[in-house]
Amino acid sequence: MSNPCSLIANNVNLKIGQQQILSDVCLNLSAGKVMGVLGPNGAGKTSLLKILSGQLASQHSVSWNNKALTDYDPMSLAQQIAVVNQLNDSVFALDLYQIVRMGLLPHKSLLSRQTAEDDKSISDAISRVGLDNKVKQTFSSLSGGEQQRGLIARALVQKAALIVLDEPVNHLDVYYQHQVLKLLRSLAHKLNITVVMSLHDLNLAANYCDHLCLLDEGLMVAQGTPQQVLTAERLQQVFKIPCHVSQSGNNAAFRVDFYPPDEVELDVAPAAEDSSK
Amino acid sequence: MSKKWILLCLLVIVSPIAALFFGAADLSSSELIHCMTQGCQDPVNNMIFWEIRAPRVFVGFLVGAGLAIAGATLQNITRNGLADPYLFGVVSGAGLGASIATLLFDSKLAEQLGLIQMFPSLSFSLALPFAAFLGALFAVFLVQILAAKTFGSKTEHMLLAGIAVSFMLSAFSHFILFLGEPFAANKVIFWLMGSLARVEIWYAWVMLPVVVISVAILLIYGRHMDALLLGDENAKTLGVQVTRLRILSLAICAALTACIVSYCGGIGFVGLMIPHIVRNWLGVTSRIVIVGCVLLGGCFMVWVDVLARVALPNQEIPIGIITSAIGSVFFLLVMSQRRQ
Repeated sequence: MSNPCSLIANNVNLKIGQQQILSDVCLNLSAGKVMGVLGPNGAGKTSLLKILSGQLASQHSVSWNNKALTDYDPMSLAQQIAVVNQLNDSVFALDLYQIVRMGLLPHKSLLSRQTAEDDKSISDAISRVGLDNKVKQTFSSLSGGEQQRGLIARALVQKAALIVLDEPVNHLDVYYQHQVLKLLRSLAHKLNITVVMSLHDLNLAANYCDHLCLLDEGLMVAQGTPQQVLTAERLQQVFKIPCHVSQSGNNAAFRVDFYPPDEVELDVAPAAEDSSK
Repeated sequence: MSKKWILLCLLVIVSPIAALFFGAADLSSSELIHCMTQGCQDPVNNMIFWEIRAPRVFVGFLVGAGLAIAGATLQNITRNGLADPYLFGVVSGAGLGASIATLLFDSKLAEQLGLIQMFPSLSFSLALPFAAFLGALFAVFLVQILAAKTFGSKTEHMLLAGIAVSFMLSAFSHFILFLGEPFAANKVIFWLMGSLARVEIWYAWVMLPVVVISVAILLIYGRHMDALLLGDENAKTLGVQVTRLRILSLAICAALTACIVSYCGGIGFVGLMIPHIVRNWLGVTSRIVIVGCVLLGGCFMVWVDVLARVALPNQEIPIGIITSAIGSVFFLLVMSQRRQ
């Protein structure tokens, strides 16, 4: 019997045209956990996240809270699952407050008004991500890290029990990478929110996620705790670069180091000789 | 209520009243004030006031409000501040529908075919906006299909498709006019330039419900329209049914543009300028933009119509010429601002 509020995927398959993007991916994630989806470019990470969040119409194989995603109507799905995508620059200068307020949408009927309770949930969410002094600032003028935290605040106002993020620390400097991931981990552990995100940095994934999935060419190569998933042989096999994995003690930081091959062979044709000579 | 809104409300009260004082007939201020408060003493003045000036101001307000809302809605769903019913082909589509209806039902050809007997003047008056609405809807769906199938689904592609459709439908309209009889064609050409000169009060009774219902629907869906500003994918993750909302919004734009264009002709660039000013002045969320567009768009058109009446002695400039002149300069200014 599965837990309530758990994310279960059974044999997820996705084929676009002739290309098999995902093959028989299975996972089971319980509430309040942080899951990192890892893998090289083109492994199917983004597609898996889209299927897990109901953005890609998939089979009946994904369920949240013991109910298939396809059985949710769009509004009730949005009450359960929040998605944090990178925002393209909006032509209209929305401020942080207006962006965060949009999280109310799935909980409001067309004619209902914004209540004092809603105001409080918006200001609480903004405080929780540490952006109280930026409330009236236009969203596009915020730094990458602040924008990411603003979108997480929107997910909090959405009161979703599952937050799905596609590469949330991309383009962020080291300080903001840690800040955003620390925030997500504390939300998961303190508010019992399930977090699923794709990451490229294996060290960050190892140190901030409770559960990892390693994908390669649409196949789930391994899943489990960071210690179970991140082994040198497996990473070398998936990323095709020699590596070394270390952890000095049980609670010490996990560390993965890649060693680039001595000679990088470039698959570039030699420049054509100048015919004018 | 902020000072900006108070100022706008004052403008809405003052503009229509002030506009009543301008016109070809020489009505004294005291007579006009008398007309407004106790009724006119002179029956001719009474007619000028109640059958020419007041309807013109009222219809002018509705035209400005309607075009501004249509522009704001198109800009919202395309996430492009340069979208406008004109650039989107909606006006050309409505123009084509109206041209066909006019030449079919209001010409000698129609008389010979017996269509006039079948459609007396009142039903023709209603058939005209209906034909324009069908033309506008046709344009909207043609743009959607072209944008999705040929150009790609990005909003810039939708604008390109809009411009292409706009030219194509205008070409059809002009070809029909070329084939049609000169008198009817002249009427249509004058009408295509846009004018409030032949406005009658019943125009308002057709436009008012369309404008009111459109505003009500757009206000009700305000939060959903805001979510569209984040892009389709993000809006979907907030539970918005994007395709349905987009079709509803486009139908509203088509209805608003059609009922305005069919009676008052092609009045361009209002839908571009007013939402832009409202967003910079009052705010960017949909509900604020819609209310701001109703108030500011209405006042703007009332004053443009005053200019059309008084700029040249003893004759009127078609209103579409003035809005296009102001609008094109505005368009260039916006483009240069964006570049900076």
